[in-house]
Amino acid sequence: MTKISNNRKDCVITIELGTNAVRVFAFDLNGNIIGSAKGAYPTFHPEPDYSEQDPEQLFITMLYVLKNFLNETVYAQKYKVITICFSAAMHSVLPIDKNGVPLGNVITWADNRGKNEATALKNSSSGKTIYKSTGTPIHPMSPLVKIAWMKNQDKDRFKKTYKFLSIKSYIIQQLTGNYIIDYSLASATGLFNIHKLKWDADALAYAGITAAKLPELVSVFHPAGKLRKEYQTSLGLSADTKIITGSSDGCMATLGAGVWGEGKATVTIEDSGAMRVVGKEILKDEKQRFFNYVLTEDYYVSGGPTNNGGVIFEWFAKQFGVFKYAYGIENCMEELINDASKVAAGADGLLFLPYLLGERAPIWNANARGVYFGLNINHEQKHFARATIEGILYEMYSIGKTLEEHRSIKSLSVNGSFGTIPFCSQLIADIFNKPVAISKNTSSVAQGSFLLSATGMGIYKNLDDAAKTVEFAETFTPNKHNNEVYKKYAGVFENLSTKFNAEFEAIANLQQKNK
Amino acid sequence: MNQFFLLQGVSKELHPFAHIIEFAIKRNSTVQLNSFNETSSNSIRIYYVLEGKFEWVINDNHHILYPGDLVLIQPGHKFGGQKGVLDIGKLCWIYIEVNKHEPDERIMFGRWSSLPKNEILAIGKILRLCNTPVLSRVKEAGNILNEIQHELLNQQIGYFTRTNQLIDELFILIARKLTLQNDTHRDFPQSFMHLENALRQNLSHNWTVEEMAAMVGLGTTTFTEKVKSYSGFSPLNYLITIRISEAIKLLKQNDLSVTDIALDTGFYSSQHFSTTFKKLTGYTPSEFRKKNISNDQDQ
Repeated sequence: MTKISNNRKDCVITIELGTNAVRVFAFDLNGNIIGSAKGAYPTFHPEPDYSEQDPEQLFITMLYVLKNFLNETVYAQKYKVITICFSAAMHSVLPIDKNGVPLGNVITWADNRGKNEATALKNSSSGKTIYKSTGTPIHPMSPLVKIAWMKNQDKDRFKKTYKFLSIKSYIIQQLTGNYIIDYSLASATGLFNIHKLKWDADALAYAGITAAKLPELVSVFHPAGKLRKEYQTSLGLSADTKIITGSSDGCMATLGAGVWGEGKATVTIEDSGAMRVVGKEILKDEKQRFFNYVLTEDYYVSGGPTNNGGVIFEWFAKQFGVFKYAYGIENCMEELINDASKVAAGADGLLFLPYLLGERAPIWNANARGVYFGLNINHEQKHFARATIEGILYEMYSIGKTLEEHRSIKSLSVNGSFGTIPFCSQLIADIFNKPVAISKNTSSVAQGSFLLSATGMGIYKNLDDAAKTVEFAETFTPNKHNNEVYKKYAGVFENLSTKFNAEFEAIANLQQKNK
Repeated sequence: MNQFFLLQGVSKELHPFAHIIEFAIKRNSTVQLNSFNETSSNSIRIYYVLEGKFEWVINDNHHILYPGDLVLIQPGHKFGGQKGVLDIGKLCWIYIEVNKHEPDERIMFGRWSSLPKNEILAIGKILRLCNTPVLSRVKEAGNILNEIQHELLNQQIGYFTRTNQLIDELFILIARKLTLQNDTHRDFPQSFMHLENALRQNLSHNWTVEEMAAMVGLGTTTFTEKVKSYSGFSPLNYLITIRISEAIKLLKQNDLSVTDIALDTGFYSSQHFSTTFKKLTGYTPSEFRKKNISNDQDQ
């Protein structure tokens, strides 16, 4: 496979190190997808608040998927790889020793071990300063908080650590030998000053580290270095294959959804979700409700994340759905959506707060819990199905409403496996009262990575032009009547979400003690 | 069912069945001290509650049992009545001798079983890895035990074969119920995680697709399809990603030889390990170790 003939067509490979799986795509230089492959890896929970992954398993899975994909799809169709672009889930931390050997597992974004550190910092004056400089909400997800936790609770490992990497930095180091992180992913660490584009002195001091303990900062377009010879040979890639550092999955999903410029926002709902806008200014929010991540030197991706997306509907299906086949959850969810579509907008007065996993934006309350509200004797299972879906979307709408305090949003681009279920897309249009467009390429992260690579290669003049090429397969127009109904329910939803703070705390404590 | 008690070496009915250690139905109508103290044995002990309510301690865990419940005591596990007392009620039990193979404690049945080896291994694995010894509402088990009793006591033509078949059936039933009970067949990611943990705990074992499928409670074809669509890999290729990633960790620690690492992580030889490793990473295990122990050239 090492022999490369001249009549081969050029292609770009994107590699997304996602929360549950690595996804590899190949694009031709016109942006058409040649093929894709994925490989899943597990998340371990050795303690209740812990979420960890095995860095070697991620690396090997990535390598295995990439190698098979290159041989079976890319080379088989006579393509030559000229660029490889990386993206990864945000907020991961991997301590390594001076030989580059991991000191334990990667701590993922979902890990909550630093919750005490987070609460203390968030309520302090330095917490407010750090949020303003770094743009990352003070939360256990933030690597800043995780490193501080390690400094306080895992002193031995903290002392032995040569560098704190992100999972992407580790994978790139394995492939090229260089310790680097792009501005974009760095801007989700809570340690990076998004105004000065360098590590933030206050944040470093709080975490108890110096900049030398972190990888070198580079732009998202930056070549990550040369592939080590052994990987060139085993993957059949030439020495001049350009490896682009790339960005985070969130920023790439936004670019890949074509949301670039005023008046637009993306709604992403997978297991969890987020709503994002892009602009040349950050969102300044006294209540620290938003993240502000850097994509390039002139663009910020801002928005709010939710814990409770499609995972909540899956929970509902597992508990209350009818399973015709072993593990037939897809079929079961289809049936439930079918049931839900038989109920009018507003589920005849049944309202659901979806906070089964606590919530981030906009209420930022880890103790929040799920509530079915307004139950009466006429409600049936189908009402629960509809209320559950509507509740997940009201939550997204409440993020949208706070975003609209800062930006005007005229249209939405929706992606993610839950958001793009046609029933859900229509509901999003109705609840937001805004037209919804669904991208043709269902993987916005891969699409965004391609657009970034292509811009870096000079195919597009800039990211604005690149984003304009995103094609939409389907659009949903809001139904005026339903919107009138949803407006009323969304108001009740919003009030309920903050009304139970004391009771949420009390019940969360009781649940903690029962464990 | 009437009371009876058959004991290997004593009761002539069990003479042709060396693997049946005890088989009995007992009605207990008085509570006596020290009537049911904690014991352990090398056989698999299966109890089925016919009447009454029993409180037992199985492997240090307390369980309350009702009619229709089946209890499975693993070889070597301790069990007895709460405070050494057998409660009032009616019970049926059968003890079956099995062979346990070191080092992975594989359970094998004797030649009496007509099941193929791979199915026995899979069933044995499920029995061994089950995290609850009690199955509720298994009337079918009561029926099978009843039939075994009928065969042993009436000794009609073919009873030898039939009895052994019924014991096989009993084990199949228990294995199926255990898989259904462990995960409700709803959450594939969760079942897959159980499997992942089992694979990691016993990486040196020569896992077959049949064994893996059995752990998730699926046939091999459906299992392979599910794993492929969920993980992107065939079951055996997924296993290779775990093996290699564990091997990498051991290589980086530098205290085990490459051969030991190969065997510990489930490769059948260091040659097999080296070939697979090199194919995937481009490095031989020793080259990879060298690069990571002193990778000064990269700094």
